[in-house]
Amino acid sequence: MKMKRVVSTLLAGAMVLSLTACGSTAAPAADTAAPAADTAAPAADTAAPAADTAATDTASAGEPITLNMWCIATESDSNRHSYEEAIKEMEAEFPDVTLNWEAFENQSYKTKIKAAVSADEMPDIFFTWSCAFLGDFVDAGKVYCLDDAYQNYKDELPEVMLGNSTYDGKHYGVPLTMNIVGLFANMDLLKEAGYDEVPGTYEDFIACCDALKAKGIIPFGCAGKETWCVTEYLESVIEKSVGADTLNDIFLGRATWNNADVGAAVDTFQSLVNNGYFDPSGIGLTNDEVKANFMAGKYAFYMNGTWNCADFAANEEFFPKVKVSEFPVINADKASLGQLIGGPSDTLAVAASSPNAERAAEYTFELGKRICHYGYLDGCGLPAWTPYGDTSSINGLTQAVSEICANADSYVLFGDTAMSADDANTYLSYVDQVYGCQVDGTQFIEGLANDIR
Amino acid sequence: MADKNRVKKKASAYEYQEIEYNIKQTNPVVKVFIYIFLIIWAVINIFPIYFMFTFSLKSNDEIFGENIIGLPRNWLWSNYVSAMNTGNMGRYFLNSLIVTIAAIAISIMAALMATYALTRIKWRASKLMNSFLMLGLTIPLQASIVPVYVILSKAHWLNKYSTLIIPYSAFTLSMSILICTGFMVDIPYDLDESARIDGCGLWRTFFSIILPLMKPALSTIGIYAYLQCWNEFMFANVFISDSAHRTLPVGIKALSGAYTTDWGPIGAALVIATFPTLIVYIFLSRKIQESFIAGAVKG
Amino acid sequence: MADNNAITVNSIKRDKVKENIGKGVTIFLFLLPALLLFVGILIAPIIISVYRSMYDWNGFSEGTFIGFSNYKELFTNGSIKFLVSLKNALWIAFFSVFVQLPLSLFLALLLGRKVKGERTFLSIFFMPVLISTVVIGQLWLKIYNPDYGLLNRFLDAVHLGNLKHVWVGEVSTALGSIIVPTVWQYIGYHMLLMYAGVKGVSMDLREAAMLDGATKWQVDRYVVIPMIKPIIRVSVIFAVTGSLKSYDMVRILTEGGPFQTTEVPSTLLENMLFLRNRYGMGSTISVMLIVLCFAFALAITAAFREEEA
Repeated sequence: MKMKRVVSTLLAGAMVLSLTACGSTAAPAADTAAPAADTAAPAADTAAPAADTAATDTASAGEPITLNMWCIATESDSNRHSYEEAIKEMEAEFPDVTLNWEAFENQSYKTKIKAAVSADEMPDIFFTWSCAFLGDFVDAGKVYCLDDAYQNYKDELPEVMLGNSTYDGKHYGVPLTMNIVGLFANMDLLKEAGYDEVPGTYEDFIACCDALKAKGIIPFGCAGKETWCVTEYLESVIEKSVGADTLNDIFLGRATWNNADVGAAVDTFQSLVNNGYFDPSGIGLTNDEVKANFMAGKYAFYMNGTWNCADFAANEEFFPKVKVSEFPVINADKASLGQLIGGPSDTLAVAASSPNAERAAEYTFELGKRICHYGYLDGCGLPAWTPYGDTSSINGLTQAVSEICANADSYVLFGDTAMSADDANTYLSYVDQVYGCQVDGTQFIEGLANDIR
Repeated sequence: MADKNRVKKKASAYEYQEIEYNIKQTNPVVKVFIYIFLIIWAVINIFPIYFMFTFSLKSNDEIFGENIIGLPRNWLWSNYVSAMNTGNMGRYFLNSLIVTIAAIAISIMAALMATYALTRIKWRASKLMNSFLMLGLTIPLQASIVPVYVILSKAHWLNKYSTLIIPYSAFTLSMSILICTGFMVDIPYDLDESARIDGCGLWRTFFSIILPLMKPALSTIGIYAYLQCWNEFMFANVFISDSAHRTLPVGIKALSGAYTTDWGPIGAALVIATFPTLIVYIFLSRKIQESFIAGAVKG
Repeated sequence: MADNNAITVNSIKRDKVKENIGKGVTIFLFLLPALLLFVGILIAPIIISVYRSMYDWNGFSEGTFIGFSNYKELFTNGSIKFLVSLKNALWIAFFSVFVQLPLSLFLALLLGRKVKGERTFLSIFFMPVLISTVVIGQLWLKIYNPDYGLLNRFLDAVHLGNLKHVWVGEVSTALGSIIVPTVWQYIGYHMLLMYAGVKGVSMDLREAAMLDGATKWQVDRYVVIPMIKPIIRVSVIFAVTGSLKSYDMVRILTEGGPFQTTEVPSTLLENMLFLRNRYGMGSTISVMLIVLCFAFALAITAAFREEEA
């Protein structure tokens, strides 16, 4: 029964997401999201049966077709299993659709999909990141609009979850799982420093870091070679200093970067670096290496996406030691608990050039729902869709993340996903310099205000 | 640059010099130093192979920290099983083999024909044409990836073996012509003359006289082309989207996922990709080196 | 027009024209496969790149013609780091020419002296060339690893702990960390090229020099090296253009970081095309790269010619 409560509270939380859409006209969506929360709870109860019937109604309509899909669920990716399960189920439900799917390595996929878009050689269904990444393709008219197909799935897929793939009020993507940034803690190490819980206030948190340092334990591990890992820390610090709305406005270009509070927050982050809380060798490591270090007990804290839950849960020796929580509030006047970094980003979209776009759209919704379902069961992330079926087997970490999300009141999407490709790279290069203490907070905000168009 | 007399004399000169000009005469201390240096350098060069092999038999824990360069504690042969099964490495290996061999074959044929026209038929612009074709030696592969992709996709020419074969043969062409030229100018021109007198046309001269004489060039060109094609990643990644035609480098990359990475099987895949080459190399090393050397002397 | 000529001349001429046409057709046919490949896959893309470099274009929507603005921006916009990347590529080229090639030459000369096990050494020294850069890069990452890497452990062992660095993560050491393995991997390649040249030098010549009282080093210096100059030239051209094109090692070891101080033109090019969606600027960089490679090849050839003259 406990699980059921978690699920419905999770949904309620999901409903309030101030997930701000990327398109220019999408801003109001964020404001309307809050009232929707009231109606969300009952929807959760009806969602499960609806899921079962929806599939059978629409299946086996029309002559056999073949659909091609590209994604990044490679053999060693933790999402692989959920794709395989979902596709197996789809084959049974949609015998007239043959799905050819191919998985590519994350980084090379970005190259590949862009080359395919510029040559008009896209597969029918493709994996994409929401907001700016998909937005560029939408602007170029290469993506099929999913508004019609979505009508059948309104009950199972809350509209707020589509915010990141909505452009000019039209929906273009089917979200899969969503993830937030979590503060993972190695409780064994915290105990050594005399803490049984992750401190709830910023002052205690800093005191805890000092205590860890005094014990010769490095508080934070962060991969400097992959700048997105630095943003997981920096964005949380900024958000908990200036508040979610301010940061969101900046990320989406509605406010200038030249904001003294942001500058001060960046200085705060830098003081963490300068106080020696971060592993100095992190600057030369990849995320895989840092994560391995964390699991080997080298760091007390590791801030990263909640997709890591599955990996942590899979390591029997490490799993009992790890806890996930929210980064404490730094400036209580502007920020509060419940303001998180993250949101649905992993998305499936349909190519406008697909000869069977209409059926591909329906197929994509059905597939997305199942990938989301199995991904959630595997602990790869939180569901963007209303969960159905038995979810009690989900690992404790993912459940803890669900609880955090259940209490969330606003989300800010990862900065490099929210911004256009060019801006995101400018942003990342500044973040890089902040981490290396090449620029201070003032230079950071002024530089970004100048360089981002 | 090859001095024909020099080449011919080489064999006899070797035997002769054995007495006079070899390291045995060198001061013993210097000799020891030379050997120590050579052996240290050899160890440095063998180390990556040892590293790759042991790495392929370890677990993530050992790879990242506990035991980086030692022998594996548990010899995880299962890494190979998972590389072969989930990674589909056998298939990718075969694909790489097909693509590389075909690309080399096309490159050699085109180069032989072009070189014949450039060196053995006299015409005014041949020098200019030669320099034009030599431009290819300096063009970076990645500069042309998107235009080539657009051209190929307009021609509906993606996801076939030939999608990679054609660009690969084009990119190795300049080097092949360079090597071919070296070999072909060594063939005495009298042969063409006498063929002409016997009534052979240019075509027959090429096929029945020049081609058979170019046999030694083939392995040289093959090796240079192989080095360029076998490990190529960018083109293979962008141009091929079905796993049925994927080549090894892309297959290896696909083993590493976005969120999780189990490095042992990746190491195993690397071994699968590299060791056949190395084994062939060890068995044929004399032949291969000679070809390589021939390429250097002629080129 | 031929009607005005004398009949005999006419027929000879006609034969000749016929022959010339035949020859022309043959030449054309012989060149055709090579030209098709070459123009279709290499030259056409360059032309497209030149054209696209004049556009502000993201690769899939409508582009805007902006003339030479991309070229100007390349040098004026500090955040693009083109000059940094160029500087890095030139450093790599510098070390290739002045460290890698001399080492290769040294090895080639040593092995050229009939050392025992010459063939075995030759085979071993060439092996790194056959191994994919990805593997070599991974290996070096393990060597450079700040915590458990061989290099830092070694420094600890010899009590030089204060020399330890986060090798690929610090500005002062990152470029050097790229140069070392790059230079090392291809020593074998150039060594074999040069060894071939050394072996090609007539033994009579060497012995004549020895009889005149020259030492082996003097023979190498005054007889062998001048004779293999053409091969050295080829090696220099390959080393320099190869350095300008360097890509894999940078991607694996530093990803262009820290703070983009180790970017090279090829990594910038890829960033522009596929991360920043700036296809026009990417084309601009590729045009610059081709021009540079070509210019260096010409300059090196000219330099060697000058020296010979």
